[in-house]
Amino acid sequence: MSFKKNVTHNPKLATVNKNDKITNMKKSKYDGSTYLNPYLGGVILGTVLLLSFYISGRGVGASGAVKNTVAATVNAIAPQHVEKSAYYSQFAGGDNRPMNNWLIYEVLGVLAGAFISGIVFNRLKLKVEHSPKITSRRRLWFALGGGLVFGFGAQLARGCTSGAALSGMAVLSFGGYITMVAIFGTAFVVAWILRKNWI
Amino acid sequence: MKEELFASGRNIPNIDPYLNIWHWQIPGYLFLGGLAAGILFFASFFTIMGKENKMEATVKKAPMIVPFALVLGLFFLFLDLKHKLYFWQLYTTVRIQSPMSWGAWVLMAITPLSILWAASYIRELFPKWDWKYDILKTAEKWLIANRILMAWPLAALSIILGIYTGILLSAFNARPLWNTSILGPLFLVSGMSTGAAVIMLMSKDHKERKIMGRIDILLIIVELFFIIHLFMGFLAGSEVQINAANLFLGGKFTAPFFAFVVILGLIFPAVLEVFELKGYKVPIAVPAVLILIGGLIFRFLMVEAGQITRYLY
Repeated sequence: MSFKKNVTHNPKLATVNKNDKITNMKKSKYDGSTYLNPYLGGVILGTVLLLSFYISGRGVGASGAVKNTVAATVNAIAPQHVEKSAYYSQFAGGDNRPMNNWLIYEVLGVLAGAFISGIVFNRLKLKVEHSPKITSRRRLWFALGGGLVFGFGAQLARGCTSGAALSGMAVLSFGGYITMVAIFGTAFVVAWILRKNWI
Repeated sequence: MKEELFASGRNIPNIDPYLNIWHWQIPGYLFLGGLAAGILFFASFFTIMGKENKMEATVKKAPMIVPFALVLGLFFLFLDLKHKLYFWQLYTTVRIQSPMSWGAWVLMAITPLSILWAASYIRELFPKWDWKYDILKTAEKWLIANRILMAWPLAALSIILGIYTGILLSAFNARPLWNTSILGPLFLVSGMSTGAAVIMLMSKDHKERKIMGRIDILLIIVELFFIIHLFMGFLAGSEVQINAANLFLGGKFTAPFFAFVVILGLIFPAVLEVFELKGYKVPIAVPAVLILIGGLIFRFLMVEAGQITRYLY
């Protein structure tokens, strides 16, 4: 199997020849890292989803693990607040054990898998990927803002790209399709508005 | 009025139906004891093999933390005692049948030896160190000249210490999860693996890390085999042993045991170490820390789950 090797930031900027040498990329330094072919990655992800349904009887998810971690943390610091809160009390407090949840273990597995992927494709290093026109700090602030909005939206929609869109669409849930269209539709519009942060 | 007196063994607080006497101090001690045993075994083994200059972190650096680990572990045991001021009574008797007696005496021998071992390397690692008194300088010279003499008993005692951390549990014949002789070798191998992890963390020499990585992969494979064997033995046993195994095979300890001990604490670090041996860049701290966390959680789960298992239903 051979994977097409792309350079980290912008595939348009550079391609890598067989000897892993830069051919037409000047500004950004090639660091030897590679990515899996996105189509193959998609097929693998779909297989993971199928296996997840088969083995655990559940689809994959990501935001739920964050939600449970937040609920468990709030419960550890302010258990009275959890009891009073209609939202938190669904997941923590009483007999609920938010950290003993399928999604928590799944996310630990995701981290372990991602780590191995990073090793294999030589991408295991601390770095902030951003457009050369913006600073790392700006990139991180935008990431934090985007994460906050996405987390809020995922809770309103009862799931994120993995839990609602991917797993939902896999079982032909109408909500899954709506979530997918909403996430990617909004992303196209917002990406155009904020395009100067990337290009 | 006629009165009848009933004596019953049931419903004794903290003992029946569930044992509730051992808390964090015991798994904490078992972890530190196993880790110290592992480091001391490798230090003495490579000294006997004449590789002390090629395995500097193993023989010289890592043993520096052993006295601290042992003293801290013993302090944990002390905290666990109900009558703390009677601890010295362990040293007024020798009982071959008692694992606690074995433990007390092995620790009595290995702790001062480990301190002497560390002392013999202090000036090599910290050149500014001064022993001040001539008698200490003479003693140091003697220790340096007789390291092999220390290495042999250290190797033997470290194996006994490592096994003892498991035997301490397996001698409880009233707790089916603990009452299996495989716990001794299992805890020994696990302790050696955590010891190897500490050495890998402390070593700056790529060759040494590679050797310890190889050893660690082997230890992990053996440990996994022992874990499988542990459950095979239980499942082939009586009803109470099957119930004990089921705590980990579908019961409440299943997810934490398989996720944190078997996968993240053994298989995943072994995979990372294999990648490292294959030449991929792997920050060695990641598998090492995972092994240490996995070893600690393993002991907590075994102590906690063992107290729940019982013979009478």
